Amino acid sequence: MKRYGAAIVSAWAATMAIPAAAQIAPLPPPYVGAYQPQGVDEIGIWREDDEAERKLAASTLVIQDEKLTFYVRRVLCDTVGTDRCKSVRIYILREPTFNATMVANGTMRVYSGLLLRLRNEAELGAILGHEFGHYEQRHSVNDFKARRAATDILMWGALLASMAPSYDVRRSYGNLELSIYGGFFRYNRDQEREADLLGIGYLNKSALRPHAASDVWRNVMGEIEASARVKGLKKPNFNAIAFTASHPPEAERAAMMAALADPAGRSREDGADRYREAMAAWLPIFLEDQVKLNDFGASEYLIQSLAESGWTATLWFARGELYRLRGHPRDLVNAAEFYQSAVQLDPALANAHRGLGLSLLKTARPSEGQASLRKYLELKPEASDAGMIRLMLPKEGAPN
Amino acid sequence: MTFLRSKVVLALAVIPALLLATAADAHKLRAKGVKVAVAESTLSVTPSRDWNRLSARIGKNTESWTLDGGQLNDVTFYGGIAPGNPLVKERSKKKEPLPKFTGTTLLVEVPELLETTYRAYRQIGAFAVNSTEPVKFLGQDGVRFTYTYTDGDELTRKGEARAVIIKGNLYMITFDAPRLHYFDRTISDFHALVDTASFG
Amino acid sequence: MFRKIALGGAAAVLCSMAVPVTAQEKSAAKQGFELTANSNKKILVFRPSVRVGAQSTGGVFEPNAEWTERAKANIQAALEKFQRKLGNEVIIAPEAYGDDARNLQEHMVLFSAISQAVIEYQFFAGNRLPTKKRDNKAEVFDWSMGTGVADLPGAKDADYALFIYNKDAYGSTGRKVLQILAAIGPGIPVTSGEHLGFAGLVDLRTGDLLWLNADGQMGGDVREVDGSEKRVQQLLEDFPGSVPAKVAAK
Repeated sequence: MKRYGAAIVSAWAATMAIPAAAQIAPLPPPYVGAYQPQGVDEIGIWREDDEAERKLAASTLVIQDEKLTFYVRRVLCDTVGTDRCKSVRIYILREPTFNATMVANGTMRVYSGLLLRLRNEAELGAILGHEFGHYEQRHSVNDFKARRAATDILMWGALLASMAPSYDVRRSYGNLELSIYGGFFRYNRDQEREADLLGIGYLNKSALRPHAASDVWRNVMGEIEASARVKGLKKPNFNAIAFTASHPPEAERAAMMAALADPAGRSREDGADRYREAMAAWLPIFLEDQVKLNDFGASEYLIQSLAESGWTATLWFARGELYRLRGHPRDLVNAAEFYQSAVQLDPALANAHRGLGLSLLKTARPSEGQASLRKYLELKPEASDAGMIRLMLPKEGAPN
Repeated sequence: MTFLRSKVVLALAVIPALLLATAADAHKLRAKGVKVAVAESTLSVTPSRDWNRLSARIGKNTESWTLDGGQLNDVTFYGGIAPGNPLVKERSKKKEPLPKFTGTTLLVEVPELLETTYRAYRQIGAFAVNSTEPVKFLGQDGVRFTYTYTDGDELTRKGEARAVIIKGNLYMITFDAPRLHYFDRTISDFHALVDTASFG
Repeated sequence: MFRKIALGGAAAVLCSMAVPVTAQEKSAAKQGFELTANSNKKILVFRPSVRVGAQSTGGVFEPNAEWTERAKANIQAALEKFQRKLGNEVIIAPEAYGDDARNLQEHMVLFSAISQAVIEYQFFAGNRLPTKKRDNKAEVFDWSMGTGVADLPGAKDADYALFIYNKDAYGSTGRKVLQILAAIGPGIPVTSGEHLGFAGLVDLRTGDLLWLNADGQMGGDVREVDGSEKRVQQLLEDFPGSVPAKVAAK
């Protein structure tokens, strides 16, 4: 693996004109202070970004949780340094996809789907550092200039979709003017490599373990493969998928990042405990957002991945929901087991009793099912579906 | 990083179907007081005011009505979804499967079926089922539920629905409208509509 | 020559459906609404949405901040001049924060959806809802944002609110866009350069949409003062009270 890694680095290094001898990522250049946009294109982009940010700040999809936002900011500052992070504004969006963006004027958007998939501070630092790298190198401006010559088919796809006449079927990107998602930038591969280099450079300098960066990509790819496998699709051609096509090939990337990481940093901490604690309140919600997207393979992979640091009631519950919602006969049997594990770890988790009750009812175990549903109502008498659940229970003492 | 979300890639595939769907058919009037069958089924309703039936259909055995345009008010009829089927037509059965109504789906789980359908189809993250209550619908024990969600056009909408499972098939009528002004404005018209729902 | 429709409200529309000129509505006003000149009504304007830039060969909209700032200033001045001629006062809405900002944003999004619906289902001949067709015949224009508008920032001090959206892309053709669109849906013409103008007047007491003007093919170079005045004129064409004794919907 090491040999492979070295070969990749030197091949890659050749394209980037970096001497192969410099194996680890160089330290980032000294911070030059607040930058003001220059030139027509850049000023224009900043202005657009400023307008977009005004709307972003007022959007219903922004998660207004000071604690969570503060935590993400702290990790960014720990990674790139307080000088650099001062200029950044962070917005966390309730959006189940894995993404984070940073635009020319310093607006950083972090999607909840990203926070769900990371396992520790080092991984978060790797992503944020990478995004910051794009920003520091002003890739969006450079790319914008380059992009003028190219046609971005996927961007048009989004706009065309917004033309669809029927609201029901429209995949609405809505009003680009008001869109909070910012521009759909697609950096080229060299820019992505540059951002990776900078990102690892920041990590090397920080107190976090730089090797985390490659873990993120391995997990992303694993999830995509799992998703495809369950759907019965061919192993994904990563060159045909938009976001992977715009990035260096994953194998190269993972290996490169591992090689660029400072070996001395291997023993640093990941901040896994701190990360889990910061996400604790939101994890059940982000998990639910993911499970309910109906991508069985991806959700199962994710849950298992999160469970590597230990199964919790929340994770068992999410797994139960996943299986119950797919609802094949075998799934329901499994779901009952998962819910059972959840309530064993946390007997007060009302929704797990609900899921258990429903699953048992549907697998020919009515009295056990009803007992669980009763427990659910006991724990949560004000439940929004209490009326329906009560109807499913015979009066106490009456024959079934 | 900053990669495009996967849904953008799929957007292109949607266009031809949509354009074809709306090419020829005009939207039709559904006149006040005139009983009419909906959703290619035996389900019928009698509007208490003039409604418009939208020409584009989101699935077999579905039909949508509106007063001012789908984005402002939308009543959708699901006329007997059979087990094994999704609520609406999948964009791609293999790549983007939608949740299925099954032979074991319980009435209390129907709100979740709608929720997961909306979340998967529209790729949204913010959806909440607010209430789920027993109600008589189409002469049988059914469920009435309400929900709130923020769609890709960034408008927050409220919804209310009635559903019932009869001979194993799902019958449901939903009403979606922006929570600002539009939901409250038409909710009683929706109630009037579902109260007239019957078979034949 | 095909006339463009601003489909999808303020969405960045780069192509349009082919429709004959005569069948197009462009503006409409609520039946019976009159804004007499010199009536001293106060008109609240929310942060006008103005984007000016160039459309390159690939169809990428290149924002040009200098142009936009100039256009904004010009449009503002032209607006005020125009309104003064009518005898109405233009008030710029105060800055909003927190919940007020979110509420305003939601109203903006709603306005965009309503305008979109008006265009798709009442203006656009090929897609009219039967009830809207009837409204057209009876010269009825019945759309509302609801009474929540009374709580928007600045609403207490004004009678009406003007929502303005203006996007201009000057420049060369979108050849590539044309090719893609041709591959996907033959027969959809694409015009190069994009001049979307969109203005709506809302009654702040009732939320009723008093007047809407949507024009996908506007003239006047907003980078120049004269052009901006022309643009404002077009945006506010048939603005109630501007042409005396004109009947409501066209």
